[in-house]
Amino acid sequence: MCQACTRRNFIRVSSAAVGSLALRPFGLLPALAQSPTDYRALVCVFLYGGNDSNNTVVPMDSSFSAYTSIRGSLALTTSELTPPVTSASGPPVSFHYQLPGLASLYASKELAVVANVGPLVKPLTRALYQQPQSPIPLNLFSHSDQQLAWQTSIAQGHSPTGWAGRAADYLAQAGVNSSSFPAFFSVAGNVLEGIGTSTQPVAVSPGQSLQLTGFNSSSASQERYNALTSLVADGSGLALVQAADDALAHSLSDANALSAALAKATPLKTQFPNTSLGLGTQLQQVAQIIQVQSYLGMSRQIFFVSLGGFDTHANETATLNTLYAQLSAALAAFYNATQELGVAQNVVTFTESDFSRTFQPTTTDGSDHAWGSHHLVLGGAVQGGQIYGKFPTFQLGGPDDTDVRGRWIPTISIEQYGATLCSWFGIPASALATIFPNLAKFSTSSLGFLG
Amino acid sequence: MFKEGVFQGCSGSARERCCCMKSLFSLTLAGALAAQACLAQALPARAAARFLDQATWGPTPASITYLQNVGIENWLAIQFAMNRSDLPDQPILNAAGQSNNNLGPVQAAFFQNTVSGEDQLRQRVAFILSQIWVVSATSGVPNAYAYPPYWRIFRDNAFGNYRDVIQAVTLNPAMGRYLNMANNNKGNAVKGTAANENYGRELMQLFTVGLTQLNLNGSPVLDSHQNPVPTYDQSVVTNVANLLTGWTYPTAPGATPKTNNPAYYFGEMFAAASQHDTSAKTIFNNIKIPAMQTADQDLNSLLNALMQHPTMAPFISQQLIEHMVSSNPSPDYIQRVAQVFQNDGTGVAGNLQAVITAILTDPEARAGDASPNAITPAFGHLREPILFVTNVLRGLTAAVGATNAAAASAANLGENLFYAPSVFSYFSPQSRTAHGLLGPEFQIYSTQTAANRADLVNTILYGTLGGIKLDLSPYTALTGNPANLINYIASVFLHGSMSPQLETEATAAMNAASTPLAKAQAALYIVLTSAEYQIVQ
Repeated sequence: MCQACTRRNFIRVSSAAVGSLALRPFGLLPALAQSPTDYRALVCVFLYGGNDSNNTVVPMDSSFSAYTSIRGSLALTTSELTPPVTSASGPPVSFHYQLPGLASLYASKELAVVANVGPLVKPLTRALYQQPQSPIPLNLFSHSDQQLAWQTSIAQGHSPTGWAGRAADYLAQAGVNSSSFPAFFSVAGNVLEGIGTSTQPVAVSPGQSLQLTGFNSSSASQERYNALTSLVADGSGLALVQAADDALAHSLSDANALSAALAKATPLKTQFPNTSLGLGTQLQQVAQIIQVQSYLGMSRQIFFVSLGGFDTHANETATLNTLYAQLSAALAAFYNATQELGVAQNVVTFTESDFSRTFQPTTTDGSDHAWGSHHLVLGGAVQGGQIYGKFPTFQLGGPDDTDVRGRWIPTISIEQYGATLCSWFGIPASALATIFPNLAKFSTSSLGFLG
Repeated sequence: MFKEGVFQGCSGSARERCCCMKSLFSLTLAGALAAQACLAQALPARAAARFLDQATWGPTPASITYLQNVGIENWLAIQFAMNRSDLPDQPILNAAGQSNNNLGPVQAAFFQNTVSGEDQLRQRVAFILSQIWVVSATSGVPNAYAYPPYWRIFRDNAFGNYRDVIQAVTLNPAMGRYLNMANNNKGNAVKGTAANENYGRELMQLFTVGLTQLNLNGSPVLDSHQNPVPTYDQSVVTNVANLLTGWTYPTAPGATPKTNNPAYYFGEMFAAASQHDTSAKTIFNNIKIPAMQTADQDLNSLLNALMQHPTMAPFISQQLIEHMVSSNPSPDYIQRVAQVFQNDGTGVAGNLQAVITAILTDPEARAGDASPNAITPAFGHLREPILFVTNVLRGLTAAVGATNAAAASAANLGENLFYAPSVFSYFSPQSRTAHGLLGPEFQIYSTQTAANRADLVNTILYGTLGGIKLDLSPYTALTGNPANLINYIASVFLHGSMSPQLETEATAAMNAASTPLAKAQAALYIVLTSAEYQIVQ
């Protein structure tokens, strides 16, 4: 379990000051000219709380008058929207005015919009939805359940593994990566999305390291370190105790590989927006890991970052202004960093979120929990500047509504979205059915946004 | 498999004599009860330490001896009657005349109270309730002065009735802001708006009845297709949202009351009749709330309906058990506690004092008192970061200053007091370990926070935590005899029982160190970073 930390293999001596609570910076990372010949990374940006994607991207066609009248106090005016960009596959679209970086990437065809995606058990219509015993996702409109639906792709609920974790299982079984370092790397804590049946994720916080502090080369210190590592390797057999041992054992086992790789890093020129532990900081860390992927022995990696605060039941306008400004700047910086590293064609960034929000506003200038949501996919390999799927009909109680408040029934399932990403990532069609068990219920497993 | 340690304090007939002697010197109620308890069988130290790990912020040598002397029943009675620690009210504005968003003093006082306060059980239960009824400064309520009054709801009702908790939180302006119960006007057909569903939804999903109907033993109620039966549907959320419209913030002193007052966090919200939706509402279990009721009457109808909902007792009972005793309680354990929640024996539902007593005195909670070999692998729970910090500090006889780094320490382990990431708190009651056991606290135990936890132990033992002074002398005094030191550490931190592996490694680390201080530090480091200590069993 813990190959790097047996008693005879004590190699790590931390130089960090004993007794310090200070965060340990990763160190300045850098510009190694690595050859990205066969490297691919997926980067999930989870927007916690349920992003009101009705105001992320707006179709600028005849539906705009319905958008304006129904959304009321939430409706963006044309001056609060970026200039419309036409697209071969759908209506011209504008982005929220605090998303200028994303609008620009859409115009330059590095960013695509996938319209009205969500958890589905099978394709659904309003009529079918309203029938008793209709096959709908478990606990619709609940934050926790719909987050898990997105992370597991299992709309019926109760999956112990995430879809990216199952993809990591495939990579491990197929021996795709040359090291045993986890393929799923979270910069935003533990998430079900990265838990596989046979593989576990690694979670590292921005600006922190997994290396333990307080050890030096004295024999007393080494003996104490050996005692610690022997214990996590032994375990006591009691199940909860074993689970606690596992977390520290994984940490110790991944720490050396990560530190050794990051020691090879050189500083990035790209400037990231550095809000405290914010999205820019997280994505900067991802870029730094991507830079040293060859030292980690990784040719396929899945990263997870997050931005919270999207549960905008009230005061939505001000909240989204702040969050979108951060989202746009962070994603644009990250894309620039992948260009700097020469891996823009090798990295695809995509959004997930609990759900979208009611088209109809609340009395408190916000919106409530809904369902289908528009998502963003970014990268050099993305067939950008296009809409994939269809915007819903902007009509309360209309053909795409579950009830009378504009909770859109998705027309694209998470499985289709995820399978399109995984196919580009290199997962063969034969393995997709294991990763996305419901995939066969939907018409296509490729939405086309990655060619 | 476990070696029983040497228990501190009295033992056998000597213990009886010694505890009775101590009682003679006490004129307090506690002393009188202790004297009475001496007539009964004294509690073994292991049993006392385990109980205190479940009921307090961490056992100490003194608290173990005390509980041994008074017994569990008396200890509970004393705790129920004890004076209440407080969190200090904060100024509304800071020195610059702007909103005071500095929660540091409130966080620091919380750790002073939990590490050093006497009302250990009340504070523990209050913290648990606050993890169910979350108000957070993360994407929520930034004002520091909102938190002490909000906290007092849980402190003051920790041994009260759950209905009073529901009512007090529902009308609290901090929750009013956090989940938009404040100034949630009724839907407006002309403007095309609907009542905000936020509080109505989470009141049901998180605070009272959950998403799925439960049997008394916590198992889901199944329909004829073997599917779990939802507790409510979207139409109920809509109706409860309408029912809860028309409340606004308390009026600040000197201000004129308005239908939609600006945010103000002292006092209770009040009803603004013109913004209350008076239509008839059908809520869960097909309960009909008549039209034309006032906001107060509607709220009262809702509270009655919630208290009568059969799912509330198992839903809340299981969460309380998970926080105090075990992530994986048996259905029978849940049922025994839920029965008390439904009826405390006098026909009253929601009596938290009775529920807490039932949780802590249940045979399943006490089964491991005799020996660690009686503990099943899924029993117990991971010490969450805040509990980890207080446990370590109490075990090391810490003196916690008015300004201290305790909250920052727990934050670095993933639990920042008053800054839960969302209303879903720091971790979900449904979260599982990688191997499928329920393990809520594992949600925030990652490769990163596991490493940070070991580093915090390093900082505490070898460095300094701001504003906190430790007393390691009871440990350094024993380093002349390694076995005595190991046994003493086990008695404080591991209920007197240490696995042979841990004993071997802690002894090896201790023996490699030279000075008494270094020996104590090394042995404590190995124990406090061990998985055996992270899991409260």
